[in-house]
Amino acid sequence: MSVLAEVLTVLLNGLQQGAIYVLVAIGLSIILGTLKFVNFAHGALYLIGTYAGLLITLEINVTDGKLADWGYTPIGLEWGFLPALIIVPVVVFGVGLLMERFVARPFYDRPDTDQILLTFGLAIVIQEVFKILFGGQSYNFARPGWASGQVGLPIIGTFPEWRLYIIAITATVVVLVYGLIEYTDFGLVVRAGTRDAEMVELLGIKLSRPYLMVFGVGAALAGVAGVVGGPLYAVNPNIGTEILVPSFLVVVIGGVGSIAGAVLGGILIGETLAIMVAIAPQWSQVGIYVLAAIVLLARPQGLLGSEEVAP
Amino acid sequence: MARGEKTDVSRRDVVKIAGASGLAGLAGVAGSASAQENPPIGNFPIQGNPTFGFTVPQSGPYSSEGQDELRAYRLAVEHLNNGGGWVDNWSDLTGNGVLDQQIEFVSGDTATDADTARQTARRMIQRDQAIMLSGGSSSAVAIAIQELCQREKVNYMCCLTHSNDTTGKSCVRYSFREMFNAYMSAQALVPPVTDEYGGDNNFYQLYADYTWGQTVQSSMSRFFGEAGWNEMQSVATPLGTKDFSSYLSQVPRDQTDVLFLDHYGLDGANSLSQAKEMGLDQDMEIVVPLYNRPMAQAAGGAIEGVFGTVAWDSQIDNAPSNQFTQAFNEKYARIPSGPAQLAYAQTLQYAAAVERAGTFYPPEVIRQLEGYQYDNIGMGPETMRACDHQAQRAVPVVKGLPEGEQQQGQFFEIVNLTERDTLGYGCDSGPAAECDLGPYE
Repeated sequence: MSVLAEVLTVLLNGLQQGAIYVLVAIGLSIILGTLKFVNFAHGALYLIGTYAGLLITLEINVTDGKLADWGYTPIGLEWGFLPALIIVPVVVFGVGLLMERFVARPFYDRPDTDQILLTFGLAIVIQEVFKILFGGQSYNFARPGWASGQVGLPIIGTFPEWRLYIIAITATVVVLVYGLIEYTDFGLVVRAGTRDAEMVELLGIKLSRPYLMVFGVGAALAGVAGVVGGPLYAVNPNIGTEILVPSFLVVVIGGVGSIAGAVLGGILIGETLAIMVAIAPQWSQVGIYVLAAIVLLARPQGLLGSEEVAP
Repeated sequence: MARGEKTDVSRRDVVKIAGASGLAGLAGVAGSASAQENPPIGNFPIQGNPTFGFTVPQSGPYSSEGQDELRAYRLAVEHLNNGGGWVDNWSDLTGNGVLDQQIEFVSGDTATDADTARQTARRMIQRDQAIMLSGGSSSAVAIAIQELCQREKVNYMCCLTHSNDTTGKSCVRYSFREMFNAYMSAQALVPPVTDEYGGDNNFYQLYADYTWGQTVQSSMSRFFGEAGWNEMQSVATPLGTKDFSSYLSQVPRDQTDVLFLDHYGLDGANSLSQAKEMGLDQDMEIVVPLYNRPMAQAAGGAIEGVFGTVAWDSQIDNAPSNQFTQAFNEKYARIPSGPAQLAYAQTLQYAAAVERAGTFYPPEVIRQLEGYQYDNIGMGPETMRACDHQAQRAVPVVKGLPEGEQQQGQFFEIVNLTERDTLGYGCDSGPAAECDLGPYE
C-alpha cells in the first residue's frame, strides 16, 4: 500500500467515525444552545433509536430479559432498513416531545447541575428498562443487504459500503437541519430565541412551541444516528452511555449551538482517533481529550461557537 | 486507640475460639473431630450455614455471560442441597448439603472491572463470611480476586479466566482453575489450523491490551512461530475499543495470510464483524483464539468458518455433558453455555473436596484438590495439577457455523476435542515455571 493510499484510508476512516458523532452531537448542540438544557439523556435517545431500528429492520431472537420470559422470543418486523430510517426518527421525535414537556420544561430555570442529575438519572432508567426487556446481551444489527459489501475506491482500494452511506446520510441530514435553522421562519425564531429569549417573547412570539420542536428535532437526529450507527457495532443497552461522552466532546470542541461547529468537531474527533490509531494506538482515546483540552484553553466557546451562546 | 484495637482483636479471638470449640462440640456429636484439630483461618470455622460467594458480571457488556454463570451457580447450590444433576453421580457428594450442612450463597456484581470486583469480593468475605468464592469473567478480575482470597485465606474457584498469568506468574495457593489457558488454546489450534491453511503463512495479530490479550498474543506467536509461520506484526488495541476499522485497515491485505483477532466478548464480536465488513476475509483467513456464545450471537454470520476454542459446548457428547445440559435445560428451558458449565463444575469440585477433607478448613480442602484426578465433568480424564493449580484437560476447537445453520445455543461445529496428553507443559516450563503458589496458612 502506498503512503498516499494509507493516508487517504486513515482520513476516510476518520471522516466516517466522525460522521456518527456529528449526527448525535447536532441534536445535543442545538438543544443545549437553544434551550440551555444539558441533556445527558441524549445517548438514551440514540439507544432507543438503535433498538427501534433493530426491531423494524430485522427479526431478532431474544434469549434474555422479560420479553423472553413472557414468550416473545423472536421479535421484529423485518420491514428493512429504509422504513426504519423514516419511522425511527418519527418515533424518537415523539419521545423527544414527551421528554421536553414532562422532563425538560420544569427544569429550564434550574441550575445545570439539576439538569445533569435529572437527565443522567433518566438515561440510566431507560438503559435499565432496555436491559430488563431485552436482557444485557449484545445483538447483531446486520447491515442492509444493498450496502453490506465493499466498494472499490480509487487509490484507497476497497472500503466498506455501509460506511460510505453513513457519510452520505450524515451529509444529507446536516444540510436539511442547516436549512431548517437558517432559512425558515421557525429557524429564525429559534435563532432569535437563542440570542435573547426575553425580547422574542416581548415581540409576542411564544417560545414554548419552537422549544418543543427543537427538542423533538434534536431527539429525532439521535434516533437517525441510532439506526445508521446500529450496524457498526454490536447492540446492547450500554451503547447510549458510550456514545454520549465523545458527543459532548464534539459539542465542546465545535461550539455549543453551532451546526457547523458540530460538523467540524465531529470530523476533528474522528480524524484524531483514526490518526492516533495509525501512529500510537494506545494513546487514541487520550488523544481526543487532549484535543478538547487544547481547544478549550485556546477558545473556551469552541471553535465555531459564539460567546453569547455559550452557556 | 492502640489499646482499643488490641482489646478488640483479643475479644474477636475469644469469640472465634468460643465459636470453634462450640462447633467442635457439635461436630463431636455428629461424629467428626476435624474442627478441633484445625485452627481458625479466614472465615473458618463457619458460623451458621456455609455461604458461597459468586462474583459475576451482572452489568456491563459481559452481563449476559454473568447471568448464565449465575444460573449455573444457583443450579449447583440447589443440587448440592437437594440432589440432582451431577451430584447424584459423584461419589463424594450426598445431595444433602455439604458435610450435611445446607449451602447458602450470595452473589455480587463485578461489572467486569477489577476494582469493583475486589470490593464485591471483600464484602462477601467480611460481611457475608463466605467460605468460598467463585466467578468470572475477565482474567484481570480473576487475578484481582484470587490475590485478595490468598490474603484473606478464602478458597477461590476461578470460573472464566483464560490468561496464562492466572496459574502462571499470578498464581496463588488458594485458587484453582478448571478453564484452560491461552497457552493451551494455541497448542490446540495449531494442528487443525495448519492442516487447513498450510504450514507456511504470514500472520498478523490484533490483541486486547491487558493480561489476557497479551498472553494470547505471546502464546499464538510462540506456537504458530514454532509451526513455521511468520509473524508480521502484533498491534495492541485498548480494551473496550468499539470501532476497529482503523486498526483493521492497517493490516496489509496482500501479504497477510491469517489474521488473529485476540479479542473477547463484545470487543471480539465487533472486531470480527468489522473485519468481515471490510472484506478482509476475502484476502486472508481469520482466527479468533477464544470464543464464547454471547460473542458469537453478537457477531452473527461473521463467525462462519472462523476457527477458535471454547470452554465447553453442549454438543460435546458424553454422559456428564449431556446430564448437565439436560438438568440446566429442565430448570431454565435453555441450553447452557461454556461459562455455565465451568461455574457448575467448579462449585461441585470444591464441595466434593470439602467432603473428602471432612472439613471446610481451607488448607485441607486445598490439599484435597491438589493433584486430584477426575473424569466426571464431561471433558475426559483430568488432573488438577498440584504445582500450579491448573487443570490438565482437553480443549475443544470449534469453527463458526454459517448464520443459516445457527440455532439458539448452537453456533459452532466442534472440529476437534484436543486430548490433554497432546497439550500442556511441565511444572518447570511455560507459565507454570513462573508460578509460586504461596503458603497454605
